[in-house]
Amino acid sequence: MKFKTKLYMSIGFLWLFILIIAVILLNMLEQTTVKMNEVVNDLNERIEMAAVMKNETSQIGLELGLMASDRNDEIHINAEDDWEDSQMKLQKAMESLEQRDKTEKAQELIATYRTLYQTYQNLGDEALAAKNRNKQVEFPASYWKNAEINRQRMIQIADLLCVLEKQTLKNELFRTKDTYNWAVTMIYVYLAIALLIGVGFTFWIIRSLTINLNKVTSVMKQATTSDFESMPRINLSAKGELGEIAAAFNKMADALEKHSFREKDLKEAAEAESWLNGKIAEIATIYPEVESVQELADLFITNLVPMAGASSGIFYLKELEEGEHYFKKISSYAVLNDSDNHRRYRFGESLVGQCALEKRPIILNDVPADYFKIGSGMGASLPKNIIILPVKGVDEVLAVIEIASLETYNPLQLKLFEAAVDNIGIKINQILNHIKVEKLLQESQTLTEELQVQSEELQLQQEELRTTNEKLEEQYDTLKHKNEEIEKVRGALEEKAQQLEISSQYKSEFLANMSHELRTPLNSLLILAKILSDNMDGNLTSKQEEYIRTIYSSGKDLLHLITDVLDLAKVESGTLDINCKEIELNDVLEYIRKQFSPLAEQKQIQFSIEMDDRLPDIFYTDDLRLQQILKNLLSNAFKFTEAGSVFLKIEKVIKEIYENHSTEKTQFKPMLSFSVVDTGIGIDQDKLKVIFEAFQQADGTTSRKYGGTGLGLSISREIAHSLDGFIEVSSVKGKGSSFTLYVPLESESHNGKYLAMEEAAISLYDTPNTKIEPISEPAMPNLKDKKILIVDDDIRNLYALTVALEMYEMEIIVAENGREGITVLQENPDTDLILMDIMMPEMDGFDAMRQIRRMPEFFEKPIIALTAKAMKRSREECLEAGATDYISKPINIEQLLSLMQVWLYRKEN
Amino acid sequence: MTLNEDERIRLHLEEIEKIEIELFLEALIRFYGYDFRNYAFPFLKRRIKHRVQQEHLTSISALQEKVLRDSETMKRLLTDFSINVTEMFRDPSFFNSIRTKVIPIVKNFSEIKIWHVGCSSGEEAYSMAILLYEEGIYEKCRIFATDLNNDILEKAKNATFALDVMQLYTKNYLEAGGKRSFSEYYKAVDEKVIFHSFLRKNIVFAQHNLVTDQSFNEFDIIICRNVFIYFNRNLQNQVHKLLYDSLSLSGFIGLGKREGMKFTNYGNCYREIDASDKLYQKIK
Repeated sequence: MKFKTKLYMSIGFLWLFILIIAVILLNMLEQTTVKMNEVVNDLNERIEMAAVMKNETSQIGLELGLMASDRNDEIHINAEDDWEDSQMKLQKAMESLEQRDKTEKAQELIATYRTLYQTYQNLGDEALAAKNRNKQVEFPASYWKNAEINRQRMIQIADLLCVLEKQTLKNELFRTKDTYNWAVTMIYVYLAIALLIGVGFTFWIIRSLTINLNKVTSVMKQATTSDFESMPRINLSAKGELGEIAAAFNKMADALEKHSFREKDLKEAAEAESWLNGKIAEIATIYPEVESVQELADLFITNLVPMAGASSGIFYLKELEEGEHYFKKISSYAVLNDSDNHRRYRFGESLVGQCALEKRPIILNDVPADYFKIGSGMGASLPKNIIILPVKGVDEVLAVIEIASLETYNPLQLKLFEAAVDNIGIKINQILNHIKVEKLLQESQTLTEELQVQSEELQLQQEELRTTNEKLEEQYDTLKHKNEEIEKVRGALEEKAQQLEISSQYKSEFLANMSHELRTPLNSLLILAKILSDNMDGNLTSKQEEYIRTIYSSGKDLLHLITDVLDLAKVESGTLDINCKEIELNDVLEYIRKQFSPLAEQKQIQFSIEMDDRLPDIFYTDDLRLQQILKNLLSNAFKFTEAGSVFLKIEKVIKEIYENHSTEKTQFKPMLSFSVVDTGIGIDQDKLKVIFEAFQQADGTTSRKYGGTGLGLSISREIAHSLDGFIEVSSVKGKGSSFTLYVPLESESHNGKYLAMEEAAISLYDTPNTKIEPISEPAMPNLKDKKILIVDDDIRNLYALTVALEMYEMEIIVAENGREGITVLQENPDTDLILMDIMMPEMDGFDAMRQIRRMPEFFEKPIIALTAKAMKRSREECLEAGATDYISKPINIEQLLSLMQVWLYRKEN
Repeated sequence: MTLNEDERIRLHLEEIEKIEIELFLEALIRFYGYDFRNYAFPFLKRRIKHRVQQEHLTSISALQEKVLRDSETMKRLLTDFSINVTEMFRDPSFFNSIRTKVIPIVKNFSEIKIWHVGCSSGEEAYSMAILLYEEGIYEKCRIFATDLNNDILEKAKNATFALDVMQLYTKNYLEAGGKRSFSEYYKAVDEKVIFHSFLRKNIVFAQHNLVTDQSFNEFDIIICRNVFIYFNRNLQNQVHKLLYDSLSLSGFIGLGKREGMKFTNYGNCYREIDASDKLYQKIK
């Protein structure tokens, strides 16, 4: 039965039961009430009838009296009616009472009463009848008495009846009360029964429900404690919900059981898998750091074999030898007789090669007895199973692994092998690639280095080429220059030659003749004197030898004199030969030193040669003529110096030269100066000019004392001119003289005719403030004629810089602030370099530089920022604003000049 | 067919050339004691062929004969082998790295010893001197600048450089983070600039042959730029050993822009301080 139905039924039954009981009870109560009402009503009526009988009995006595008393009045008349009426009433009451009360006593009483009544009625009827016959009849007392006694009895009986009836009522009420009590008792009884039945029923229902539920619950409880593989079932025949629950539970149990079985399977599989993965991971952990295949193979085989429970293994790696791939054994594990005979296999050769060829594992199950043995120190045994596995890279076999075991391989082991091999394939590939990459990287490094070498070599070669080029260019220039010079000289010579031809023909001829005529005998004289002085025969006395030496030296003097005269003539006629070439200064000086050192020693005069350390080793001039001049000057110096010193000082100087007698046009030239300074007798100021004239000496008297022709200085001067140089002299009488020969450092055209202005030469001793300022620094050709823009708001700075830079023949333009600077620059686009102050009104140096840099034509113009004390910030700001370099104030002129030379340097193309 | 023939001949000639070069190098060792066998082969080949050309000879064997008999030719050959390409503050960022990454560490040493290997004409040594001077530690520094070539060392001692390169040097100086004005350090004379002598004070120029000579001191900083590029792998490793032995622990070494530490035997003994400037610190 369905649970619902049961519940409905049981509760419905209870309700019905209660209803029935209620109906029964109500019915009983109603019955009781109705019966009681009936009884009470009936009894009341009977009491009333009895009362009526009693009343009427009383009445009839009166009425009989009235009727019997004959009076004609109304009362009497009515008495008869009343009588009649009472008679009827009595009759009626009596009859109905008789009918109603069937009790014996009542019937008896009523019957008695009736009898009495009839008696009484008869009396009445007699009286009435008597009356009607005689109206005035008088009835005997006896009659009355009888009547009265009768009636009295009647009343008594009626009374009795009344009491009887009342008693009956009382009895009846008691009986009703009993009935009521019984009814109440019955209700209790009923309720008790109903309660019992209800409780019983409820128990039954609940029990019938809980039994099944408990069954289900207990089974379910069991189910939770039991594993899910064998679940209890609910055996319930009952249908309905519980039945369904039971069925559902059973189904669930089935499903759970199935599921748990599956789960168990899966779990086992997963465990196997995790073992496998664990092993694989273990294998994987052994080689992340490995960098060579050999190391990898060793690690792999020594790990995998014991891990898989196998006993022995070999690792073959594919290698390329002589264009063929071999699988070479590179590592092994516990292999007996590790001989060389199975060291390498080709593709398809042996099972190893075959495995590589087929790219799939080969398993040997029944290994023949003499195939291979696994052994230890104690013995050796046949392997049961051998597996040969290919290690695959991307699409090729990279290696082969052979593993032997004493037991048969289970599927898990096989899986492990495959997975491990898969893994290692990737790793081998990685290593091989890594090695390849490493190799490539190394190659690229080598190539990069090679590139650097080549670039450096190239740079060097470029440098060499450039140097060669420059040299060639220089040579070409010199050549061109020389050619021009030669051309000019040629022209000049031609002209001169013509002039000479015309003007000095006789003089030349004479001089030439004379010199020849003079020199020929003099030479023979000298030769002979020389021979004699050698005293070969030894027949000359010392005195004679002395004479001959005097002859020889005098002759030599004479020859010198003649040569000098000839030279002077030649110089004056312009026929002096000048052979300029590259000479070594040292050679010249060596010659001079040799010549004069003995003389100095002899005269006990200190003699020294001082050289500036910036002198060129080589310069271009006529060495013989140079020597001649120096000899002359030094001879003079020694001649006129009795004591003290003579020194020759050679320096490199910048000299101002007056061109073609004009005092306006001057030129600065780098020159070599040879100063011969002595501490001799000195020369008077007014004599300074005279001494250069031919055959003149400062003092006529000196010739007597010192001798000499007086030609030396004039010849020297003339030769100096021929060398494009000049001689300056300064002297203080009695203190000494200084003769300085200036010769150009670079060869100049002969045509130049730079005239030394002896007049302008200022004494070294007298007036140090000279117009021709000897510059101790070498020339700075890089700076010459360069146009420099100075932008500075400080007039003093501007002035100082301008003066300083103009000294180096630079062209200076100025501006007082940035804005003006830009304007000036635009007006002078040929400006070579800009000196830019930073702190300026209107527009400061930063802005000015930025603006200048924005103009494409000045993008690369060197701008030197003049910063106040090198502060890092302003320094960086300068560079950012576009300064090429910077120099900090206060400006060191030498530093500035150096820096300007760097930035004004232009390579000639 | 002809192509193959040509190719064959070319290979043949190359083979001959290789043998000639090897014999030539052997001759140089035997007679002059110079060992160039471990120099980068392509470099040697080019240089030797260059010399052959310059001497108007036809073969390397002929050069061998001439070099053996004429020491002047040998001198010229040595000049060929020594590539003296250098600049002041060459690769400015390198010097910047020295300034910012090395100097702060060595600043408090009581004495700082620096070795410029292959200093050539001294430009980098002087650059280093300027840098140290600006960092205020020049007084306690000793710069040992060595080169194989004695002539170039003589040149280096003069501290005199051509005027035309000064613009580049100034730019380099500025890029290398120069703190003062570059012109403070030199004076222009003629077509040259002479660097002030105070920079020369703590520099020792000396001849040193990386191939044959040993370590001569322990240094805090070694600068060996564009030297390895002329060597083959063997010699590179040999020289790396020499430098490693000469460098104090935690000392610094700077290599050339295109050189590297990675593929040398000592790669893992150094920590990279600046990858692009090839600045390393010895860590073990």
